Amino acid sequence: MKTTLAILLVLSAVPVFTQEAILIRNGTIVPVVGAPIPGGDLLIEKGKISAIGTGLAAPAGAMVLDASGQYVYPGMVAPLTALGLINPPGSDSDINEKGLSVPQIDPYDALNPEDDSIEVARIDGVTTALTAAGTGSLINGKAVVIHLDGNLAAEMILKRNVLLVFNTTARQANSYPSTLPGVLQFLREKLSKAREYGAKREGGKNHERDAEMEALQPVLNREKPVLFQCGDEVSIRLALTLINEFSVRGIIATASADVVKFAALLAQKGIPLIWSGTTAIPRRWEAVDLNYHVAAVLAEKGVRFCFNESRGQGSRGVRRLPVPAAISVAYGLGEEEALRALTIRPAEILGIDHLVGSLEKGKIADVVVCSKPLLQLSAKIRAVIIRGRLIPLSSIQTRLRDKYQAIVRERLRRGESQGLDNRP
Amino acid sequence: MRMGMAGLLLLSLGSVAAAQDVALKGGTVLTITRGIVDNGIVLIQKGKITAVGKDVVIPAGIPVIDVTGRFIMPGLIDSHTHIAMDMSDINEATDPVTPQIWMKDIVVSDHDTIRTTLAGGVTTVKTMHGSANVIGGVNVVLKLKYGRLPEELIVSDGRPQLKMALGENPKRLHGDKGRSPSTRGGTAWVARKAFSEAREYKAKWDEYEKARAGGKKEVKPPARDLRWETLKQVLEKKMTIDCHIYRADEIEWFLAFCREFDIVPMQISHCVDGYKVADLLARSGVTFGGWSDWWGFKEEAYDGNPFGFSILDEAGVNIVINSDSADEGRYLFLNAAKVQKYNDLSDDALLRMITINPAKSLELDQRIGSLEVGKDGDVAVFDRHPLDSTCKCIMTIIEGEVFFDLAREGLSAQVQGGKQ
Repeated sequence: MKTTLAILLVLSAVPVFTQEAILIRNGTIVPVVGAPIPGGDLLIEKGKISAIGTGLAAPAGAMVLDASGQYVYPGMVAPLTALGLINPPGSDSDINEKGLSVPQIDPYDALNPEDDSIEVARIDGVTTALTAAGTGSLINGKAVVIHLDGNLAAEMILKRNVLLVFNTTARQANSYPSTLPGVLQFLREKLSKAREYGAKREGGKNHERDAEMEALQPVLNREKPVLFQCGDEVSIRLALTLINEFSVRGIIATASADVVKFAALLAQKGIPLIWSGTTAIPRRWEAVDLNYHVAAVLAEKGVRFCFNESRGQGSRGVRRLPVPAAISVAYGLGEEEALRALTIRPAEILGIDHLVGSLEKGKIADVVVCSKPLLQLSAKIRAVIIRGRLIPLSSIQTRLRDKYQAIVRERLRRGESQGLDNRP
Repeated sequence: MRMGMAGLLLLSLGSVAAAQDVALKGGTVLTITRGIVDNGIVLIQKGKITAVGKDVVIPAGIPVIDVTGRFIMPGLIDSHTHIAMDMSDINEATDPVTPQIWMKDIVVSDHDTIRTTLAGGVTTVKTMHGSANVIGGVNVVLKLKYGRLPEELIVSDGRPQLKMALGENPKRLHGDKGRSPSTRGGTAWVARKAFSEAREYKAKWDEYEKARAGGKKEVKPPARDLRWETLKQVLEKKMTIDCHIYRADEIEWFLAFCREFDIVPMQISHCVDGYKVADLLARSGVTFGGWSDWWGFKEEAYDGNPFGFSILDEAGVNIVINSDSADEGRYLFLNAAKVQKYNDLSDDALLRMITINPAKSLELDQRIGSLEVGKDGDVAVFDRHPLDSTCKCIMTIIEGEVFFDLAREGLSAQVQGGKQ
């Protein structure tokens, strides 16, 4: 436990601003884009990774973290969350603006650095996330990529206007469109209208500005991708139809094992996948372990995919990201590919892989140190670094633990634990 | 598939063997209560464990399953779930007090949730009434003997447990319909009123039975009321309570309520604030039932805390990890592993949370929850240590019978069989 102590001691003396330099020494460095380096060192300077190797010298004034016996990974990238928009339960929601088509909504306008979910996710190793305005409408708002650190919204932003989210399962309860063909027609009409709007704007005549139509232009001209939130087979096919018809850059997100039927097509067309179905319960006619195998099949077929937490956008369970990865490894996915699907793959899909998602010289220093391989759910997180800043391993939950541990101990000490043993 | 089927060959199928005779040979045996046996044998005869150890002589004719290199542990136990029945039958939400409802009446023994849960090594569950009512129905304990008659699944040797629920759900579900409870105070009143009436009902019946015993043949029995019949059993301590509570203040209230009526709290489920009052839980002997890391999905769950387990453990609480769902019941072992991420607890302590501790909560720890001679032959076999997150359950055995075999039911078997 010597190493733990070393890290804890260092943590207690951490200032809140970015350190000039941090040297992580003698850990198993897992860059995810190359072979692991046992007994390796990783040097962080001015928020960036400046060197990876062995026997690196600590620059003057650098903080040194002894990672002996520990594992060093890039921070995890959560591909579809509402981090920063999740208000405490009972208060009004800032996710899913009303309306069938609201692409003009920007989550940046509501991004709240004080969202408790942020600290909870980052001290488990999630350092970057896509925050989307919603997934509940047919055409949803914009999305931002945030770093899970910062006291102001602007400080958290890594990239704005990353993509738009279309939901091909958003049948309406009592109004149009209430069926999947209706959903397809609705989306088709909107995109057609937006294309006409764009052509008219090009022409410059009688142009009246429309926020909704403006917001759809970047996906029609392929500047931004569309993330299609899909369900079972038919809704996936529907998304592929739109990708084909309008030549948009598509990303598929689904929890349905039906996606395997499209694996060859996704691989061939280079359409990436956000996969959240590893823990989905199989249907009656399916093998009990069907969903556990899906990631391995996707990898084998050459689909570019990343893992997503299973409970959907808005969940506070973003920290559960390694769960589907661990299960997928048990059922045939290679460990290295599983790790990539938590780090560099989502970064690629979100177009930020030149900045984060792996441990490489020159990349932003988003680093996680843990006691065991990251795919072990029992691995303790020993240190989290975001943009070169050592993050205090503190959250609403550690603070509640500290508070009540003291209270319970004090009551036990005083013998004041009210209660009688009711067992006969 | 990394795991071939070769390791699980039935080596001999003698004609003298009963269906419930089997020997597991060669694996690492995690007995839970008696340590670990490397390269051990677990012998099951007529559904009961007859030997556990290294130098066990397997009688001729007993089928042997070679589990060399595998890990054998007692079948997992989930003391809070809602599987094996139609979800639309879980909540009799027409009245906040429905103790006349018995979940054993609606067991669907070939429900698909049994198949999927078995595949996670689970052999015994407590399937519960929902949380719509302050006093719900009587829960049922089941062995997951998929496809057998419901009677064969139902375990009736522990005391039955009545479901109660406090907090947001009964308030919302009944309050929204314009009736009590619509506040936590209303919930307390509904509970107190019901148990007060049941106490009067019990007094009438006690008086009647005393008179009959005293030879007075002319006394007429009081009218039967099936609601108060159930609560009478609770008051007689023939039945205990599993109460759904999130908040610490309500845990304190509920334990005091149980003292007030001299009734037995056996488990508190959804016990997310349990760590704040761990000493109270320990003192009252009530089991903590909860999830590993759920939090914040509703207001009363906001303080849910995976770091709380060490406080519970330090206070001496019987800790149980539950699924409360058809989803997480399939990988309770992963949820146990997760607890270690947030707490310095031993492997042994974690494995207990999904075996012997829930057995205690079901008052079945003399029968299930560990691999000991005399206990039921309920076994889960894993390809790796069950707390290694890249493990998988490869076989589930109940009372000596194989109810799940990945080699036969897994995807790769189906592919080979031409189904896919």
